[in-house]
Amino acid sequence: MAAVAVHGARTLSRSSAWLLLTPALAVFLLFFAVPFLTMATMSVLSGNPMVVPNPRFTARHFERILDDVYYLETLWTTVRLGLSTTILSLLIGYPLALWLARARGRTTRTLLMMAVLAPMMMGLVVRTYAWLAMYSNRGVINGSLAWLGLINDPIQFLGSEAAVVIALAHIYVPFMILTLSGVIARIDTRLEEAARGLGASSAAAFLQVTLPLSMPGILAGSLLVFALAISAYVTPIVIGNYNIQTLPMLVYQQISSSFNLGFAAALGIVLLVVALVLVAAYNRAMARAPGAA
Amino acid sequence: MGRWFYVLNGLILAFLLLPVAIVILFALNPEPFIAFPPSGFSLRWYDKFLHSRDFMHAFTLSLELGVGTALLAGCIGTAAALAIARGNIPGSGFLTALFLSPLVLPGLLTGFAMFQLVMVLGIGRSTPVLLAGHTVVAIPYVMRTVLAVLANADRSIEEAARGLGATPATVFREVTLPLIRPGVIAGCMFAFITSFDQFPVSLFLVAPGEETLPIAMFNYLRFDFDGTIAAASTVSIMLAVLLVLAIERTVGLQNSTRL
Repeated sequence: MAAVAVHGARTLSRSSAWLLLTPALAVFLLFFAVPFLTMATMSVLSGNPMVVPNPRFTARHFERILDDVYYLETLWTTVRLGLSTTILSLLIGYPLALWLARARGRTTRTLLMMAVLAPMMMGLVVRTYAWLAMYSNRGVINGSLAWLGLINDPIQFLGSEAAVVIALAHIYVPFMILTLSGVIARIDTRLEEAARGLGASSAAAFLQVTLPLSMPGILAGSLLVFALAISAYVTPIVIGNYNIQTLPMLVYQQISSSFNLGFAAALGIVLLVVALVLVAAYNRAMARAPGAA
Repeated sequence: MGRWFYVLNGLILAFLLLPVAIVILFALNPEPFIAFPPSGFSLRWYDKFLHSRDFMHAFTLSLELGVGTALLAGCIGTAAALAIARGNIPGSGFLTALFLSPLVLPGLLTGFAMFQLVMVLGIGRSTPVLLAGHTVVAIPYVMRTVLAVLANADRSIEEAARGLGATPATVFREVTLPLIRPGVIAGCMFAFITSFDQFPVSLFLVAPGEETLPIAMFNYLRFDFDGTIAAASTVSIMLAVLLVLAIERTVGLQNSTRL
């Protein structure tokens, strides 16, 4: 009895706990771990082991990626889009995250959370269509400019990288805001007050106290947005107007038109390695954030 | 904080919300392509959406998948969260990280990895495979909300029940389960919408001829820009708003969204 009280309510015996865990473990083993292992294996095999009797290990899929400028350029476009999206999300997300973290009233906080979360819960295709409606030749931007008499011919937004980056930032900025506001909320406001008490201006107190202390959040939010942005598919295709080629599109083409499972797996592994490194770094950054458990 | 801070944030909020509001406007615009300002008011795109066999088939499939995912992920995720929070098992930190990892790992990769497996095994794509994929990415949403309520729940209530002579099974049934109910409900709603709006995981796993609503909308968008997509989008927009309101009322938004 005493032991239970000391360790908190251990309302479940260890055996029943494992029993409750079994379904989740089974699902993650079969539909998460094994698929990723299959992908990794396929990326270094010369053929499908269920069809070809004696597949060899080979590095030829990865060599093909490294040897061809086309693939390297696609990789660079993907990374470039990811970086621009991350920077823009940070610039857009920080002020709102600061407000969300520091808002005194519960109602203000709740309304802000709703404004951030509701768009995040909408489908990717819905939000991409929203930007199509903004950018089109007779869309919201061109339509308004023409109505005001500022332009005669529509500005061609679709197909440009900047248009894709703005749409991607709109789609992924909620992840940045949630990560950032969690970290900023745990920064002791008395530190900034002390800086101001010692004669620092509000701006100086923010730049020298709050901003540096929110660095783990900036890092974590950026890594998360980058990982999501480089694996985006719908938005770069539709807003890029089929002009822009990214790694996820390449993976899809490999299985839909050329049906090269091994090569597609190698491309997937490249994307996975980048994403995993980023996610691991994200976890480290969050673990170092102030007040983290 | 100064006035400019609020002006800047007002602009950011407009950037977040206006594009979505515009979609609702375009669903009611009679023009057969994207045209702004709208030339009138019409329900023809809702009519077209509701009478399109392809869209309705996809809509039904997405609803069924959403309900299936919510039930599966709800049961599996709740059980796992209980085991981790109340079971005192070794390696619970690692298990939590593993089960929550689909939240930060791009869904496109999870779907593609499953695609590789079913292709290598020769099973091929099918709706049950898709349901499995949706369940994997929905489980963390359930776990997160249930873990949040369990962390906030006062353990002394459970301890008091034990102290008064209740068996562990009774405590579990009479105390723990009612305590976590709001978390389970919120988690299931998250799971439903994750599946209903799912695109990245579905991209590689939908069986030909068995498209979900987001996939059908994407395919439509390649050839046609008329308001049918906007009409179809309102479903997703309304669901998102309802979900956010419902979650605020059950477990609170702050608790259920910590990344």
